[in-house]
Amino acid sequence: MAQTAIQLKSSGTATTNWRVWLGVAPFLLFAFLFLFLPSLRLFTASFTDSDGNFTLSNIIQLFSEPFIVNAYKLSIQISAVTAVGGGILGFLMAYAVTVGGLPRSLRSVLITFSGVASNFAGVPLAFAFVATLGRQGFITHILRDYLGVNIYDAGFNLYSFAGLSLVYMYFQFPLMVLIMAPALDGLKREWREAAENLGATTTQYWLRVALPVLLPSILGAMILLFGNAFGAYATAYALTGGRIGIVTIQIGAQIRGDVLYNPGLGYAMAIGMVVIMAVSLAGYSWLQAKTERWLR
Amino acid sequence: MKPRKSLINLFSLLLLVSIALAACAPAATEAPPAATDAPASDPMADLVAAAQAEGMLTTIALPHDWCNYGEVIETFKAKYGLEVNELNPDAGSADEIEAIKANKDNTGPQAPDVIDVGFSFGESSKAEGLIQPYKVSTWDSIPADAKDPDGYWYGDYYGVLSFLVNTDVQPDVPQDWADLLDPKYNGQIALSGDPRASNQAIQSVYAAALANGGSLDNAQPGLDFFADLNAAGNLIPLIANNGLVATGEIPIRITWDYNALAAIDTFEGNPNATVVVPASGRFAGVYVQAISAYAPHPNAAKLWMEFLYSDEGQTLWMKGYCHPIREADMRARGVIPADLLAKLPDVSGAVFPSLAQLNAAAELITTNWDAAVGADVQAAP
Amino acid sequence: MNFWSRLRRFPLWSWIWFIIGGLYFVLPLLATFEFSLSWDPEIPFKAYQRAFEDNDFWETFIYSNILALATIVVSIILIVPTAYWIRLRLPEARRLVEFITLMPFVVPAIILVFGLIRIYSSPFNIPFTDIRLMQPLTNFKAGTNILIVAGYMVLAMPYMYRSVDTGMRTVDIRTLTEAAQSLGANWYTIVTKIILPNIRSALLSGALLTFAIVVGEVTLASFLGVDAFGPYLFLLGQHRAYEPAALSFVSFLLTWLAMGLIQLFTGGQGQAAGAH
Repeated sequence: MAQTAIQLKSSGTATTNWRVWLGVAPFLLFAFLFLFLPSLRLFTASFTDSDGNFTLSNIIQLFSEPFIVNAYKLSIQISAVTAVGGGILGFLMAYAVTVGGLPRSLRSVLITFSGVASNFAGVPLAFAFVATLGRQGFITHILRDYLGVNIYDAGFNLYSFAGLSLVYMYFQFPLMVLIMAPALDGLKREWREAAENLGATTTQYWLRVALPVLLPSILGAMILLFGNAFGAYATAYALTGGRIGIVTIQIGAQIRGDVLYNPGLGYAMAIGMVVIMAVSLAGYSWLQAKTERWLR
Repeated sequence: MKPRKSLINLFSLLLLVSIALAACAPAATEAPPAATDAPASDPMADLVAAAQAEGMLTTIALPHDWCNYGEVIETFKAKYGLEVNELNPDAGSADEIEAIKANKDNTGPQAPDVIDVGFSFGESSKAEGLIQPYKVSTWDSIPADAKDPDGYWYGDYYGVLSFLVNTDVQPDVPQDWADLLDPKYNGQIALSGDPRASNQAIQSVYAAALANGGSLDNAQPGLDFFADLNAAGNLIPLIANNGLVATGEIPIRITWDYNALAAIDTFEGNPNATVVVPASGRFAGVYVQAISAYAPHPNAAKLWMEFLYSDEGQTLWMKGYCHPIREADMRARGVIPADLLAKLPDVSGAVFPSLAQLNAAAELITTNWDAAVGADVQAAP
Repeated sequence: MNFWSRLRRFPLWSWIWFIIGGLYFVLPLLATFEFSLSWDPEIPFKAYQRAFEDNDFWETFIYSNILALATIVVSIILIVPTAYWIRLRLPEARRLVEFITLMPFVVPAIILVFGLIRIYSSPFNIPFTDIRLMQPLTNFKAGTNILIVAGYMVLAMPYMYRSVDTGMRTVDIRTLTEAAQSLGANWYTIVTKIILPNIRSALLSGALLTFAIVVGEVTLASFLGVDAFGPYLFLLGQHRAYEPAALSFVSFLLTWLAMGLIQLFTGGQGQAAGAH
């Protein structure tokens, strides 16, 4: 037993170190072949202009053009808002069907539904929300005809930042549910019992025991939500016609437009996105390292 | 201890999976043998035989409801027995060009043989060496300003920007661009794309310029018009599509007349809708065809062009409410069925921009749209 | 016992959250459904009739399902051992692998597909010679299928990895591994017989997410020329008014059904919280 333990704990001397990396070799190879190689163009093309010559102007424009800087700010904002909002709501729903004591059948329903809803995006989602909360939407009608409340007069507008966030939640919080439900399963009943035996209230249990244990998973899920919103394109385009100029829409305009365009700039913006994801990941890693203390 | 066994399992599973997929995938239909036909001196018969030997044509960006392409493709398939591989119907012109570039070495079914792109893309593709010349047998009846003299690209059809109006929701139909500013249309108008990227949307702004004191050389009044429209609250930022028109969310959609007419057909009376070609500011937008320089099936591509530019092909487009490029010639010869002629809206006075004018206007509109409409949401500091 | 009497208390807040969440999910779907029925007052299901008249609907849907299953299986084979190895032996690789799994979010699908085509449409020669090893992947059907499954795996990677990683976090990997090893199990047995069953609910989440992504995916399939469900929906629905609403509602239901089946076959939803 001790022998085996030693085997496991050794992360290798210099001679055996590379052998340990072999374990992740298939994954790295796959990522190289099917993610990096095809995306290499992203990197090379961001340094070329429309005539094919080397240029740094695309990268410089990332910082100098106000519409690009604004695009990044908007993207980060909407991703952060929907990651946190979707995270909280998703966590609550996941809680409700796992620890929260709802019947088992509801859990099945929610999990499978979340699976589908997490990918319901783009034009169909935008259309569904327009049909619900647009000026002619059926909830708008119900509120107006039966409750006398005209939400549009009150300032609500589906075609705005708030409206777009609301729509994004549709695929954000199912994602949170799916990631958190298994994590919540891991909360052992013994911990709750032990806490209660020691006189803890529900709040104390959550604050001192459950949440610290769950925090790394919650953070991990939130960064996934952040990335998910950050890369979303079709929904925003369909709902706001490009009016809310998030980065993906600006990239689309450069790369896919019907008029003569500057793809180099588009690729440069995508590189910017990669950098932002890297920075977010660094922030998340730092947070996670802090919270994982509780688990060791 | 490396999981060598699982690697072997991985590869064998991959192999099994791909075999299974190959077996389960829908089978390709076989092309019938080449028609035993007229003597070898008939170039058309030679072309047909060569195309049938290739067996397949790959198209891209051809939605079935756009200019009746659905029927065009079916008729072509039935007539010559070729298989038609349809890539991304939602592709924009830039996607089509990118598809050619990405597939340069590819002889598989992902490489497009023929493209249908916006007017500006003809010249730029030729300059980049992405297309090959071919002059169809009816070449001479294509108007000179709609084709490349060397035969690299050629206009296929045109349409005029119009308003599709859901009359159930908005019975008061606007007749011209200026009418759109009326307060009764508050929150009811939308474009069919993003003017920073979409051909249709950019040309909508260009068209508004013509009606607002501008000209083919000056698109700025169009931007001003839309700025006013937006300030009045009449313009909503949604990308309009027929579903949204049908729900009544966007009773007025600015789009090509052929799209609007096709939409009315698909509505089948619910909702009631009508098309209005504005009284002033009639703007004609031309699309062009070209054959990819790297086409894996060049003969099928040429046969496709011959078909499109024959009277039959042009008439099928007309059934989709598009004005085929050879319309003047066909009218003169009296080969257009009278009922089709009756269905086309009156577009007299429509103006065609030159390539230079179009590029200049597009440049102006794409760079100034954000500032003009001022609807760009600013991020909180 | 104190704990049991608490449990008998009605979980009010759980129901409240569930109902709020449920409303939020269901209302937009209801709106879509209601719209799809409104085409012809006399024939409420007209849009559905039109949509189903086309044979290609079922063909493409089934084909996409097969692709989805293939993607799920290969993803699990690739990602579970990787996540396991990282947790167990190679924490240094963790950040690198997490970074890689977040990259698919920032690489637009259209760049990915054109990149895949560019690279895999040229013949595989032994470097510096003209000896052909293999035909380009894009030239034959099985090759294109391999390409698209690989592409789908890339798209699903963030979700699958995150699910698996979260699942493994809640299980004590080290102890299980030590115990299994001391009983003489080899790596293969450990991964398949010990680890996989313990992360079942996480695997299910990852599988469901992957499934939805694959069945709804349009860009990769349509540029690679694969007859998948996504492009079919697109081809049909772009310029129509009522059929797209009907189709999106139906595909939502069908995908949900398929997921229910997956859940049934994987033996359910893992443990209820805290049960052992």
